[in-house]
Amino acid sequence: MAKRLMLLILVSIIIIPLVGCESPGHSYRPDENTLYVGTVQTSFPSAYMPWLSREGIAPTIAGMLYDSLFVYDEDSGNYLPAIGREWYYVDEDGEPILTEDGSIDYARLEEIYGDPEQEFLAVKVIIHDTITWSDGEPLTVEDIYYSFDIATNNQLSNHAGALAWTSDLRHKYTNGVLTQQGLFTYDHGAARQGYEIPMEDKDTVIYLHVNKVLGSVTPLFTSVLILPEHVWKPVVTRESQLNSTSPNEEILYHYSHPVGSGRWVLDAEESGSQQIILHRRKDYHRTKEDGSPLIGIDTIKYVLYQEINVAIYALLKGHIDVLSSSVSSNYLRLFENEDDLFVSNAPGQFTQTLVFNLNPVSSERNPMRDLLQNRDFRKAMALAINQEELIARVLDGAGLPASAGLMSASLEEFYNPAADSLPADYSTRIEEANAILDSIVPEKDGDGYRLLGDQRISFQILGSPGEQDVISFLQIQLQKIGIEVKYAAKGTQPESTYLYTSRFDMTLHGVTFSLSNVDIMYPAHFQTLGRTSNYGRLVNEELNNGIHEMRFTLDLNTKYDLIKRIQPMIAEEYYKVPLYTPNVISVARTDRFEGFRVVEGATVMNTESLENLRKTKGGR
Amino acid sequence: MKYTYVIKRILYSLFVFAVVITLNFFIPRIGVDDPAERYYPPQGNMSEIEYEIIKQVTRQQYGFHVSTGQQYMNYLKGLFQGDLGTSFRPGSPAVIDLILERLPWTLVLSVSTMLIGVTIGILFGVLAAVKRGRWQDTMLLNASTIMVALPAFFIALILSFYLGFELEIFPAYTDSTMVSGFTWTWEGIRRVAQNAALPVLSMVVGSIISYAQGTRNAVIAVTNEDFVLTARAKGLKQSTIRYKHILRNSMLPIVTSLGMSISGLIGGQVVIEQVFNWNGMGTLFLEANNSNDYPLMMGIMLLLSGFTIFAILVTDLVYVLLDPRVTVGDKR
Repeated sequence: MAKRLMLLILVSIIIIPLVGCESPGHSYRPDENTLYVGTVQTSFPSAYMPWLSREGIAPTIAGMLYDSLFVYDEDSGNYLPAIGREWYYVDEDGEPILTEDGSIDYARLEEIYGDPEQEFLAVKVIIHDTITWSDGEPLTVEDIYYSFDIATNNQLSNHAGALAWTSDLRHKYTNGVLTQQGLFTYDHGAARQGYEIPMEDKDTVIYLHVNKVLGSVTPLFTSVLILPEHVWKPVVTRESQLNSTSPNEEILYHYSHPVGSGRWVLDAEESGSQQIILHRRKDYHRTKEDGSPLIGIDTIKYVLYQEINVAIYALLKGHIDVLSSSVSSNYLRLFENEDDLFVSNAPGQFTQTLVFNLNPVSSERNPMRDLLQNRDFRKAMALAINQEELIARVLDGAGLPASAGLMSASLEEFYNPAADSLPADYSTRIEEANAILDSIVPEKDGDGYRLLGDQRISFQILGSPGEQDVISFLQIQLQKIGIEVKYAAKGTQPESTYLYTSRFDMTLHGVTFSLSNVDIMYPAHFQTLGRTSNYGRLVNEELNNGIHEMRFTLDLNTKYDLIKRIQPMIAEEYYKVPLYTPNVISVARTDRFEGFRVVEGATVMNTESLENLRKTKGGR
Repeated sequence: MKYTYVIKRILYSLFVFAVVITLNFFIPRIGVDDPAERYYPPQGNMSEIEYEIIKQVTRQQYGFHVSTGQQYMNYLKGLFQGDLGTSFRPGSPAVIDLILERLPWTLVLSVSTMLIGVTIGILFGVLAAVKRGRWQDTMLLNASTIMVALPAFFIALILSFYLGFELEIFPAYTDSTMVSGFTWTWEGIRRVAQNAALPVLSMVVGSIISYAQGTRNAVIAVTNEDFVLTARAKGLKQSTIRYKHILRNSMLPIVTSLGMSISGLIGGQVVIEQVFNWNGMGTLFLEANNSNDYPLMMGIMLLLSGFTIFAILVTDLVYVLLDPRVTVGDKR
């Protein structure tokens, strides 16, 4: 009896887990109007309050559910309409400061606001009058006021990022009390401030006071996703803040059931930690020129994959239409002979650089690091770096050389070729580099490495395991000038462990400079000492002055000229030496949808693609 | 004597747990000047003043503004109330809720793997021991060698690609609606079983071989004992000798191995869960690590260490049942 019972248990143990094991036997893409998008993440978020979304796919989804005032166009340097329709700098009476052709009159702007007594710039924003929230309520300037107001009032928002976005807005709270008003609508003191808003425009006009920096409107216009006042105002209190560590039921409900003004609305019931479903909003205020919807597909289903190889195989086997994550160039060969695939090998925007620790804090100085203080020594190293070879070997050719001025050459109007003054021919460069080093450290050891005293000149490059490839090739290139470099693991907290404390020789660091971020990024990378991206603590008076002048000029043309002038200064420091700008490689299937677009710096799952997708003729 | 042993073991386990709680609190704080920096790592586009404001807000928000000693007392107070703290995730969910949400899914994999692994492993082990030196035994030894060389990650990917994507015998990865659409119906259970098949298969092969190897060695060791020879001399039936004398006495090392496996039940298999998109504790830990969510990491580590201490305690107590000679602090 006991034996039979044991046998039964044994059989059950084996059979029960396997009883349902059979092929799924269903199509992975059952709905023909749904775009199935694979994403490589560890988990999908459960909260969609856009200001809380900092990691993984959350910011992307937030940007689809919510809109900001404007969208910055890197190519033209203009702000394109989103919630906002138009904007102007205005004079004290609220009148736009424009030239006859309708563009910003920077000469008058300088004339009016150049006076040091004048403390702020006034900006007028007019929003579209046809926008509704996804629950049907109209969107008005009171929603804009509420969003900026709560962002500056930490007692209600408890949101650190929001404080940073609005740091240039002259609307301040102290201990929950409004101490300086910098936002004005019809209902919030515009008339008192001297800004006349006609009754019929009361829902569409808002004035902002911002710091006297042309770039100060950028985060306000593009980073702050506008929140619905009617949803959040009734539930947010000092006890139950917008970003609450102990949110009550109502707040939690709103986190997971977002009401936005973007092109998409979340299917909160069907979405979870493994999938996100978005439906196109049929009442979205912006349309194509012919009045048809901006987006041609009805639904997007994001499917979670935690492992990139599984995600790629799922795409190849037709389980999904698009892979929204970028893939390594190693996979390009895998896609070569596949039918129905669209491979986007888009030029990238970020540049990988080699950063020298040229000015360590005194306790971290040593004779080797002292060598890095010598600009000629750094120049020799820059000369020995062959970007073309790195791109061919490390990126399988999927990348472009970067400018020494660190501004993308694709930004034709702003890129300054004078920054790239080193010879193009590599053998000439090596010759020049060796000549420089022969005058600084002429002695060599038996292996051909240069000596400092009786010590071989050797540096460590901090990097992640994935960067070992590039460091290995740098090792080979720098060997040609007798300099030894070695890989050193940077760990999970490199800023606190090494970078801010000067405990490194060199490190790899990706940088992206564009017109929209130079006001913030130039000081962070080249000016501010301590706890910024200026890891090697560069101090250059001339560069500092240039950056300061560029930031505070009120003439956009002067600003652009200064950006051009700064590029050679950056290049000639040989402080952040460019290695390459990797392409963004991504892939989609074309058996059901076609019209995918290649967009610089983006994967194939980009806004332009979504606006152009249509069903493939004869496709499934 | 046995009661004293049991009380001593329990007190010892409580002491170890107290040490673990303390280490669990302090270790994440080592090497970081300000815990707020873990929550909000510095970003290149912030000025020092802005970052200082951000850190002040964060310190206040998560209770880092008081002294470390006070934070420790608050942590202990929370633990006694069953509060493992709140995660850094949007919406600040309670750590315990996040763990309880994922734990059952990890248990599905680990318990299935353990049950199948132990049962078949012991059977194979006994078989290999009985057929020592013959093809069954040789096969087990060779399989053990191969399994040592093959990482679970590799097996998982091979199984997913061939049995899942190519042959479509099993789902290659977890259906995205398995968790959200789960119901306690036959269909619901069948779907879970269907999705669990490949992850369990990936883990169970190694588990079977490991238990089989352990059992084989233990059985062979016991078979050579004098009391087995005596039992044979007494003319007892072969099956009685095998199951009543040999197998029972071979159980001690197997119980140890089982105890260790139980402690690993709730930790999840990070790599296996990752390959198969299984929403369990392993991936939760990975998420916590990737996002610097150290209240969540602390919660998971505390649970894991608590469970390990408990499993070791239970193993020690089971030893006493299996072998009355086992005591602690016996100076004889």
